Amino acid sequence: MPTIWLILIVLAVAAAGYAAGRGRALRGVGGEGRSLHSTPAYHGANVAMKSAGPALLLLAVWLAAQPVYVNGIVSAMIPDSAVRDGTSLELTLAEVRRTARGLDLAVEKGLMDEEFARDAGVDPADMTARLRDSGAVVTSAVTAPVLEAARKFRALDAAGGRFMAAAVVAAAVLGALWGIGQARKGFRARNVVERGIEAALIAAASIAILTTLGIVLSLLFNTVEFFGLYPAHEFFFGTSWAPSFSGRGGSSELGVPPLLWGTLYISLVALLVAVPIGLFSAIYLSEYAGSGVRSVAKPMLEVLAGIPTIVYGLFALLTVGPLLVDVFGEGGLLGVSWQGGGRSVMTAGLVMGVMLIPFVSSLSDDIIRAVPRAMRDGSYGLGATRSETIKRVVLPAALPGIVGAVLLAASRAIGETMIVVLGAGAAARLSLNPFEAMTTVTAKIVSQLTGDSDFASPEALVAFALGMTLFVITLALNVFALYIVRNYREQYE
Amino acid sequence: MPEPDVEAGEVKISARDVQVFYGDNHAIKDVTVDIPDKAVTAFIGPSGCGKSTFLRCLNRMNDTIDSARVEGDILIDGENIYDRGIDPVQLRAKVGMVFQKPNPFPKSVYENVAYGPRIHGLAANKAELDEIVEKSLRGGAIWDEVKDRLDAPGTGLSGGQQQRLCIARAIATEPEVLLMDEPCSALDPIATAQVEDLIERLRGNYSVVIVTHSMQQAARVSQRTAFFHLGDLVEYGATDDIFVNPGDERTEKYISGRIG
Ligand SMILES: Nc1ncnc2c1ncn2[C@@H]1O[C@H](COP(=O)(O)OP(=O)(O)OP(=O)(O)O)[C@@H](O)[C@H]1O
Ligand SMILES: [Mg+2]
Repeated sequence: MPTIWLILIVLAVAAAGYAAGRGRALRGVGGEGRSLHSTPAYHGANVAMKSAGPALLLLAVWLAAQPVYVNGIVSAMIPDSAVRDGTSLELTLAEVRRTARGLDLAVEKGLMDEEFARDAGVDPADMTARLRDSGAVVTSAVTAPVLEAARKFRALDAAGGRFMAAAVVAAAVLGALWGIGQARKGFRARNVVERGIEAALIAAASIAILTTLGIVLSLLFNTVEFFGLYPAHEFFFGTSWAPSFSGRGGSSELGVPPLLWGTLYISLVALLVAVPIGLFSAIYLSEYAGSGVRSVAKPMLEVLAGIPTIVYGLFALLTVGPLLVDVFGEGGLLGVSWQGGGRSVMTAGLVMGVMLIPFVSSLSDDIIRAVPRAMRDGSYGLGATRSETIKRVVLPAALPGIVGAVLLAASRAIGETMIVVLGAGAAARLSLNPFEAMTTVTAKIVSQLTGDSDFASPEALVAFALGMTLFVITLALNVFALYIVRNYREQYE
Repeated sequence: MPEPDVEAGEVKISARDVQVFYGDNHAIKDVTVDIPDKAVTAFIGPSGCGKSTFLRCLNRMNDTIDSARVEGDILIDGENIYDRGIDPVQLRAKVGMVFQKPNPFPKSVYENVAYGPRIHGLAANKAELDEIVEKSLRGGAIWDEVKDRLDAPGTGLSGGQQQRLCIARAIATEPEVLLMDEPCSALDPIATAQVEDLIERLRGNYSVVIVTHSMQQAARVSQRTAFFHLGDLVEYGATDDIFVNPGDERTEKYISGRIG
């Protein structure tokens, strides 16, 4: 039975349980809802919770556990001799699963009956041919052990599915009966439901946290694996980035400094653009602009934040790059020839700066407006002008928050990918000239993983080490920013 | 409308037919009043009657409220402060204000008091500034409590200390008129007595306007009293007259505690 049907059945049981629990609670007091401890709806909800909760949980656990169990049994059946040379047990198991699915498909299409699929006496070569006819993806020739394992796999899988359906439905029904039994006058259904809701919320929070943890761990394991293949000191201190794609390892130079330098340089240019412009527009919006101007200007600034970064990337590539070449390039307006091509640190940095403006301005605007009005009044009351008040009272009071906003913008800049892929170039270089093309950590992660890459080679695994490096940097920035912002919050309390 | 009475001294502030609107809310109606120099004038009246609003008209603090609109004339030393040629920033240096809620800056105690003198360039050097700060803090009856922690943040003081810090901050710029909106609302009797002493001393040189909810305080410190009710100036005259012999039924009811 497909899992979706199972879920629907559980939900139907829960819904019926809701109605039954509600009805029973009401009947128990002769329709006098008031003499119940909890309203009838809570009794109903208690039933629904007790039937759907455990049943769905059981379903989830079963779905996760069954393949592990089946794989364990099936892999024990495969003799070492059945594992083809140069492959692993893992790959053979995949073959078993493919074969099993092929059998399913063939039966479904009517090319063989169930009897035949299960028949141990069938010749593997014959079976291979039939499977291929049915359109299943099979390896050159299905061997006898694999076929046998596949049969076992199918049998176990089918039996597991039946048991699972029975167990889940039973759990739902038993839970419902339990809840219905509780629906009596004095039962505190409301408190029980409250605890159930709390449990559901905790589950949601844990999923978010566990997922993050999972991502970090996967990064970590792959990074460790990478450092097993490539010396860590060369990664951290090597000044050259030259991965080779022909051979496996050996000739590659995978030093992160040129990439980090590109990342930091471009981020610096971006912040030099975004921080002054963003901060000044925030000051204008919060202190000078009338409510009319503000109601138009603020949303318009925020539209900038809604533009997809790939569009910014195109803008960098097609507009800003050529423009910069016209000004700073050979035969350009300034008569200098600093910039060779459209792609450069400047191109990416300027465009990224524009992207970050709404970040800085929107956060700073909120922070500046959070400075209490009484603070400004105090300053005006002493005969200070508007700009004196901003400079001496408002900005110092808002400064920690603004620093937090800038740090958040910085971590955005460091993690930005599309703009640098399109605007900064692909050459890893340690250079001070901002008109030269450079590349960043993110751009190299993209290029190391696009195309056909062998995930066991250091050239591909380095992507995880790069990701880890970025993660550590942005995490540190974010923690620092949050720390500053939090300290700032306490100030007016 | 009671006759303007200038016996207590020269007229410092004279308001004529002042109206204040917050949007459609008519908060001050037709107020005409003469506030004398070198004297203390008390504004009393039930909550929400417009005392703070009228006080804020006197140094144009209502300009900072978008919805507020002021009509009529207010003259200080014969000059209309709502004239185009008047710079509200300069006006506020001359007409200092202590707000209803204490609002120290998130800076050190010292910097709070030095703020006004710094922006107006009142001190030529650090020594002079130190002197002004100490004098003002003494004036605000808070010197003894903060002299050892001038570098501590002003926001870290207790509510009553903050209020006195704000008084010190206001007198540091040496205004000619000092507007005080309930300066003792968060003070204990001792600090209240000190602030009242201060007001008494200030009276020698300045015109002081104080808003208060304490009848006793109004009677103790002020020479003239104005009673506001629902945006109207009901009665204005010598404090002794108002408290002993109120001319209006509403005044009498209020000071005897029956309305408000
Ligand atoms: N910023 C403002 N915006 C709109 N209406 C205001 C504003 N400030 C005061 N008001 C209104 O103006 C009226 C007078 O307020 P005001 O603050 O002057 O009263 P008050 O006499 O000082 O009261 P209290 O003794 O409680 O301080 C009230 O009705 C109030 O709601
Ligand atoms: Mg008030």
